[in-house]
Amino acid sequence: MRTSKAIAGLACVLAVALVPAQAQETIKIGVITDKVGPAKPYAEPITQGVEFGAREINAKGGVLGRKIELLIEDDQGKPDVSAAMARKLVDSGAAFILSVSLTPATQQAQTVSLATKTPQMTPSNSGDTLTTQIDNPYFWQTGPLGSIQIATLLSYAGAKNYKRAALVSDNSDLGQLLARFFKSGLEKAGIQVVSEELISRGATSADAQMQKVRAANPDVLVSAGVLTAENVLMLKSYRQLGLKMPLLASYNFSVPVYMSVAKGLLNGVTFVDAYDPAKPEIKAFEAGYKKAMGREPFNLHGYGYDGIHLVADAIRRAGSTDKEKIKSAMQATNYAGIMGAKGMRYKFPAGKRTGFDPNGMVVRLYEGDRQGRVVHVGVGKY
Amino acid sequence: MKAAARWAGTALVLSAVAFLLSPYYNDVYRKLLLWITLALSYNFLFGVCGQIAFSHFTFYGIGAYAVVILIFQLGLPLPVAIVAGTALCALVALAAAIPSTRLEGFYLGLATLALAQLFIVVLNEGGTLTGGTGGLANYRLPKVFGFELSGPRYTVVIVLLLIGTFALLARLDHSWFGRACRAVRDNPEAAAAMGVNVARTKVIAFAVTSALAGAAGMVYAFVDNTVNPPIFGLENAFLLLFMVIVGGAGRHAGAVAGAVFLFLLPFVLSPLIGHHHVLVFGVLMVAAIVLQPRGLIGIYDELRRRIA
Amino acid sequence: MRDFLELAVSAAASGCVYGLVALAYLLIMRPTGIVNFAVGEWAMLGAFGAYVASSVVQLPYAAGVAAVLLAMVAAGWLTERIAVRPLVERGAPVLAPILALLGMLVVFRESISLMFSPDPYPVPYAFGFGRLELGPLAGSYQSFFIIAVSLVVFAATWLFFERTLAGKCFEAVALNRRAAALMGINLARVTTLSFAAGAAVAGLAGVVAGANISAHYLMGVPLAIQGFTALVVGGVGRVEGALLGGLLLAFAEQLTIRYAPIPAGYAQGVPFLLLMLFLLLRPTGLLSARERSG
Repeated sequence: MRTSKAIAGLACVLAVALVPAQAQETIKIGVITDKVGPAKPYAEPITQGVEFGAREINAKGGVLGRKIELLIEDDQGKPDVSAAMARKLVDSGAAFILSVSLTPATQQAQTVSLATKTPQMTPSNSGDTLTTQIDNPYFWQTGPLGSIQIATLLSYAGAKNYKRAALVSDNSDLGQLLARFFKSGLEKAGIQVVSEELISRGATSADAQMQKVRAANPDVLVSAGVLTAENVLMLKSYRQLGLKMPLLASYNFSVPVYMSVAKGLLNGVTFVDAYDPAKPEIKAFEAGYKKAMGREPFNLHGYGYDGIHLVADAIRRAGSTDKEKIKSAMQATNYAGIMGAKGMRYKFPAGKRTGFDPNGMVVRLYEGDRQGRVVHVGVGKY
Repeated sequence: MKAAARWAGTALVLSAVAFLLSPYYNDVYRKLLLWITLALSYNFLFGVCGQIAFSHFTFYGIGAYAVVILIFQLGLPLPVAIVAGTALCALVALAAAIPSTRLEGFYLGLATLALAQLFIVVLNEGGTLTGGTGGLANYRLPKVFGFELSGPRYTVVIVLLLIGTFALLARLDHSWFGRACRAVRDNPEAAAAMGVNVARTKVIAFAVTSALAGAAGMVYAFVDNTVNPPIFGLENAFLLLFMVIVGGAGRHAGAVAGAVFLFLLPFVLSPLIGHHHVLVFGVLMVAAIVLQPRGLIGIYDELRRRIA
Repeated sequence: MRDFLELAVSAAASGCVYGLVALAYLLIMRPTGIVNFAVGEWAMLGAFGAYVASSVVQLPYAAGVAAVLLAMVAAGWLTERIAVRPLVERGAPVLAPILALLGMLVVFRESISLMFSPDPYPVPYAFGFGRLELGPLAGSYQSFFIIAVSLVVFAATWLFFERTLAGKCFEAVALNRRAAALMGINLARVTTLSFAAGAAVAGLAGVVAGANISAHYLMGVPLAIQGFTALVVGGVGRVEGALLGGLLLAFAEQLTIRYAPIPAGYAQGVPFLLLMLFLLLRPTGLLSARERSG
């Protein structure tokens, strides 16, 4: 009895002695998330995915023998605060910054990563302009780009010979950005955009928009909207007004909340996703996440999970937390995560800093109210 | 002369602080100073002159976008762009003010609310001119007399903006015009009877404060070298109103206190209680008004009275 | 033509929702002079209440709505006790409770955002997702339901003000607070009742609109702005003005989207432009209030 107490005491002393030693050696990774603003619905699960990934990496011994320490900051969905938070993370010694907030926030935080030469990545933002608006060699993007989303949808639809399409989106920043790239994707494929509609945040009806779509009589309706409530509103009008053309939707329709909030309306809706539930990696991820965090994850968690693993992989290959070395290692990434189609690897082509494989997205359908299996992979000739 | 020395001294102290801060605190400091500047001019409009307008951030945005577009798309030199930008803000402010200050109370609020939402629509739809939803980036402040103004040195520019705004408003406030504004706020009929031109007073107050917001916007454009629509939306317009109220409407010191308090609140509370900080913010708002309607500055007055 | 009538039904339903929110403003504003921007958050509470009643507690629709309305009355009463009564008793200027209620707006929104996830939640339909054709008029069950419910609410409110003694009391307070108090009308009770009724009407708007727009934590402010616009357009003094303003706003929005030959992005700006013009040309709204004295 006495010995066990002594051992316990000794263990405590050791633990106390070891903790600061370990704390000194952690690798600090900053996460800029949105806990209160408009990006919260996405930022929250993605951040949980990052946390789970970090926990898993640490359980396996960390990176370069050091534990990962996440520094999570809330930018409230405000671009100027996002930049301030990026500075805070740099000052706190973050070796890398993951941005999972609003697209304009990620854009503005780049001012800081460029000025301080700190590697920064967004594992989830999908606006095509993030890596092109300013030339920032310290910034990467592995979210599935809008242009890839539309190309994948078009490739799936290719055999159906669509000539005329209607495009519907919302007035959020990302929704309008996606609509821009969806439109240029459609036009490049020789499909005429006969009707372009927009549903404002907070609208109480989308009947006028769907009437216009019905009157334009397109072969297909494409949704680039990213506001779930407004998308559901659109879907309700689409069903109410008896629209018959197929509905192809952005990756927003891949979040499982649709199955409860749009129950009974989803059958046949086609959406693009970066998540193939049949992949063994996904199955392992889902089981591991549930065990560790006590809840079922979904695709958004996966973006964060892959994000932190990509960072860990780059630091491992860099062999140090030197920012320049991490930068070179990141650009040389060749990594298979859990997201994307079978066998997809994240790579940054020469001169580009967008790492989601154009052929890595999948197309899925709602079967009844369930998200069905993958029916198509990649962009083909688009 | 004495007043000038005091202003200069304050500017010196506030500038000196910038050189002691780390880059993060410098960044927060810069953004805080801008919020204080906005709160001061908004306080003059709302607190002193009694006009409930939600267009302050719209003019901030017009200034920011104007200076970037004028310099980097039209190729104007910096000083010309600043003059042209301020003129543009004053012009738009006048155009908005002359008709809309005919409206009273919440009608003006609604008209300016519509203006603010319209501005965001224009920014989003502005194509390459405004950069759409992504806004404009990829520019830097040109050198001024061969000086590169960045980091703490740019903080000094913001300090000068703040002091200039404060000095101008304090001056206005103590002139006949300030008294006219307060009279218009408290009782327009009585003010008119005393010979104050109510409409003209309102228009001038609206135009001057809006132009000041525009000038602040021009300075903001180079803080992160990015301008994008979310900054200039309604969210911030409401926050500005809250700042002035919580601080104590009608008093310059109140506007400063409110801006400091509400801007820093999430930075301090977020690490401690996470997402709950917004709830705390709401509770504080209610408590501030119910317990001390004159805001933080009222609490300060009370404390001073008790000590004295 | 068929399209137009179909759109008219849908726009009328939207307009009735705006009208209900405007009525919630009006019920409070008439006797107290307080503009309560938290009505949008009340609508949000109503929508979340309907979600909880139907999906968690699994009450039948009518019972669920009744429970939500009761809860809303309590919420309105509580709001008045916390943010309005102390200020009115102290004789604070009318702007003070308006601002305190803005604070309550934040409190409501954040409480919901902490209790629920940020995703939208389903709110039940009254009669399911069907579609009804009444001669040339076609629309969803819910559209017709919203129109019917709103007409009943507006008719009842109108009768209350015009035909009952209690309503006359409200009207008397609206016309002249001091005189009303001298005549023995209990001002505090009128204020409390107006908040309880306003919350119930706003909650009802949330319940019926929620079936289309779902319950989520950011739904309040847009409804508050739309309702306020409807109120001002209709004229702040009259019950029927709130409905008229709501309908006008909804038709302006939907007809612009449907028929204006301009890009969709700009089309969302048109209602704002119209509103600004309207305010400049007719700052007192469509229907002017009965003369206020003193």
